[in-house]
Amino acid sequence: MLRLAVSTVRDRWALFVGAFLTVACGVALVQSSLQVLMATGEPKVPPGVTGARAEEIREGYVGAATLLGMTVLLAGFLAVFIVASTFAFTVAQRRADLALLRTLGAGRGHLLLLLLGEGVLLGLAGSAAGVLLGVPAAWTQTRLLTGLDMLPGSFAAPWSFRLVGVSFAVGAGVAVLGVAGASVRAMRVRPMEALRGTGGAERVMTAGRWCAGLGLGGCAVALAASARPGDLLGALLIALGVSVLGAVAVSRLSPLLVPLAGRALGLAMRAATLGDLAQANLRDGVRRSASTAAPLIALVALAVGLAGMLGSQARATGTDLVRLTAGDLVVASTGADAARIAAVPGVADASTRLTVDMAVRVEQRGPAGTRRATYHAGIVAVDGPAYRRTHRVAPRSGSLDLLRGRTIAVGAGLAAEGVRVRRPATAVIGGRTVRLRVVAAMPERLENGAERFLVPLSLVPAGLAARAPAETVVRVAPGARAADVAARLRPLGTVRTVRGWADARVAAQARGNNAIMAVLLGLSGGYAALAVVNAMLIAGAERRAEFAVARLTGLARRQVVAAALAEAAAVTAIGLLLGGAVAAVALAPLATVPGTLAVPWTLIGLLAAGAFAVTAATSVASTLAATREPPIRAAAAR
Amino acid sequence: MRNATEFHGVSKEYGRGEARVRVLDGVDLALPAGAWTAVMGPSGSGKSTLLHCAAGLEPVTSGRVLLDGEVITGVPEGVLTGLRRRRVGFVFQDFNLIGSLTAEQNVALAAKLAGARVPRAAVRAALGEVGLGDRLRHRPRELSGGQRQRVALARAMVTRPAVLFADEPTGALDSASARTVLDLLRGLVDGGQSVVMVTHDPGAAARADAVVFLRDGRVADRLVRPAAAQVAARLVELEEVAC
Repeated sequence: MLRLAVSTVRDRWALFVGAFLTVACGVALVQSSLQVLMATGEPKVPPGVTGARAEEIREGYVGAATLLGMTVLLAGFLAVFIVASTFAFTVAQRRADLALLRTLGAGRGHLLLLLLGEGVLLGLAGSAAGVLLGVPAAWTQTRLLTGLDMLPGSFAAPWSFRLVGVSFAVGAGVAVLGVAGASVRAMRVRPMEALRGTGGAERVMTAGRWCAGLGLGGCAVALAASARPGDLLGALLIALGVSVLGAVAVSRLSPLLVPLAGRALGLAMRAATLGDLAQANLRDGVRRSASTAAPLIALVALAVGLAGMLGSQARATGTDLVRLTAGDLVVASTGADAARIAAVPGVADASTRLTVDMAVRVEQRGPAGTRRATYHAGIVAVDGPAYRRTHRVAPRSGSLDLLRGRTIAVGAGLAAEGVRVRRPATAVIGGRTVRLRVVAAMPERLENGAERFLVPLSLVPAGLAARAPAETVVRVAPGARAADVAARLRPLGTVRTVRGWADARVAAQARGNNAIMAVLLGLSGGYAALAVVNAMLIAGAERRAEFAVARLTGLARRQVVAAALAEAAAVTAIGLLLGGAVAAVALAPLATVPGTLAVPWTLIGLLAAGAFAVTAATSVASTLAATREPPIRAAAAR
Repeated sequence: MRNATEFHGVSKEYGRGEARVRVLDGVDLALPAGAWTAVMGPSGSGKSTLLHCAAGLEPVTSGRVLLDGEVITGVPEGVLTGLRRRRVGFVFQDFNLIGSLTAEQNVALAAKLAGARVPRAAVRAALGEVGLGDRLRHRPRELSGGQRQRVALARAMVTRPAVLFADEPTGALDSASARTVLDLLRGLVDGGQSVVMVTHDPGAAARADAVVFLRDGRVADRLVRPAAAQVAARLVELEEVAC
């Protein structure tokens, strides 16, 4: 059986190219991610950096490790998914061959061995290519992560020969897992199918597809229906859940939904003769259309759903910041310039927040008992009463009016972290160690990078305060025009409206998230493109006879290419629409929270343009290749 | 003497309810071992189904089928698989060779599936016997139709089956190639091989030892060592009655 597996792969290599590339890319990504991940295990903090910078570097390492871990999981999952769909496709197209083996006396076990043998071969070949590809991939990943400032420029990920073993294990594992489902299906091929010559007569909507599609789809619908108007956190969770569940459900049901959508789309395509043919082919080649549309559905549903969710979260955070800020303008400057703002004509009130380079050590209750933790970042110095006037937020306990002398308040960023307010905090500021009494604790906020501690301005030595970066919320006096005041403030620093400031602040905080999202999106997009191209190439190679018959019927080669292109474009549109429908259901509850819903139009445009470009190019290339022979020979070679 | 194939009251139906079609209708038939029997009849008379049921490829609705003296109706799939491996050989109209394997590998595969350690020499000898000793490394697409059918014949014979089933073996061949294949079959039968062949071609049927005629799923007639003209005349009569 191994020899048969070898000769099948050699002979019908076109069927396996996509799966091979998938395994190679998957192994390369897993290997390079693991190589970089191993090096991020122990953050190397260069000697002599400030406490705040060391904390930033450590957080960067954690972020990088999270990103790499997700990459490994996603690459592995997508590789299994694509190998599985490729083999499902090849089994469907090789039914006659498999049935013939059965008439020759091959048992079910033989067919299982044959398919698994092909899988292992593919896994080993793909791994070999993946190990080589992994080396430049690791350099690229390192440069990307240092470019995103997640890792310091001095970071290096050493190569280890142990990775080769891991890579081959991953490649073989991915291939065998991917082939498993198809092998089981191959075992069910009955010998009679060879004699009737009805290859591919298998039902496309299998019981497994019905179960997974309806089950997960039901969960998604139930989840979407459970939304309560105005509940932001609930809506965000629903968006995440419905995107993931709906993406899988609709792609599993694609053999059912794609032809249905094709029927609807058909009314528009009817006008032209070729449109009619394209539409009929779309409905007839259910397996082909569904295999092409499914990756698009999954990609669009996930990408638009998740990007919409993250964008909406950011927008809601911005809206929240605006709501909490009682002011008209925000000025970014140094501490020294900030001190002069209150004296500018037209300024009714000014509240300055200094970001101070200091360390705070507190006791925290956690699941493992009480522990002491030191923080360097997110510590701001404010004037308590002024802060209270410009921020519409009351402390959860204590009072900001008490923020005077040797005191401290726990900020929104640590509100849920169990800081013990009855125990004094220790602060190191300008080389001096002081004990501070906790006088207030702020409530939780939506904002991701909200301040962790507030200290009184008087605690900060004058020299340090003058150099510290400052943000000042300004209320314009009644009767004065905000634009005039802004013009007068401009020499002191950067002046923005509260909305502009809030959006910029949220965007800065979301940078890490966006980078992760971009990397994962790029990865998923690449894999989806591979899956779509793969499905179209496999189908195109098998359509030689069909195209030949169309040409014998009187169509010019150009018209055959055009009809196939129209079909590909229709399938792409259907994939995008179905994926978009899932994303729309996922994001709908966010529309009930005012000032929240952010539809990622740019992403949608990019996805649509990319999808049409890839499918159109593949369709034209594969149809031209399949119609190179004179039609009479191709039609006879069935 | 043991029969190659026996049918006892065999019926075969397809479909359910309104769409039910009775393809074989109470067939009683015994085809002798060591002889060549041709099965003929108008389209839809049930010839192919008879062949499939005789080889254990399709279950029957009622009745008993024996192959080489053994009951093959109502036995588990695993037993049938073993039976196909060792006791049955097939030749099809459209050859059904595995495109990715060479002629030699196609023949060797059948031998390997049978589980016997068939030496390479035996595989080559089987191909030599059908006159393809010099085409061992050719793939099916590099061979002519007649050559492909001869590879299929070598593949069927390498396991020394009790019965060789042939479904329109000359249906896709030109007359010269068809003659070569029929000569090879004749040689096998003269060496003691049992052959059951479905065909449309009276010329091919005339090479057999006996011809069984089917009509509407029943055995309509049986001729022993007929001439081609006799077979053709009988077939025309049956088709006229059928119309």
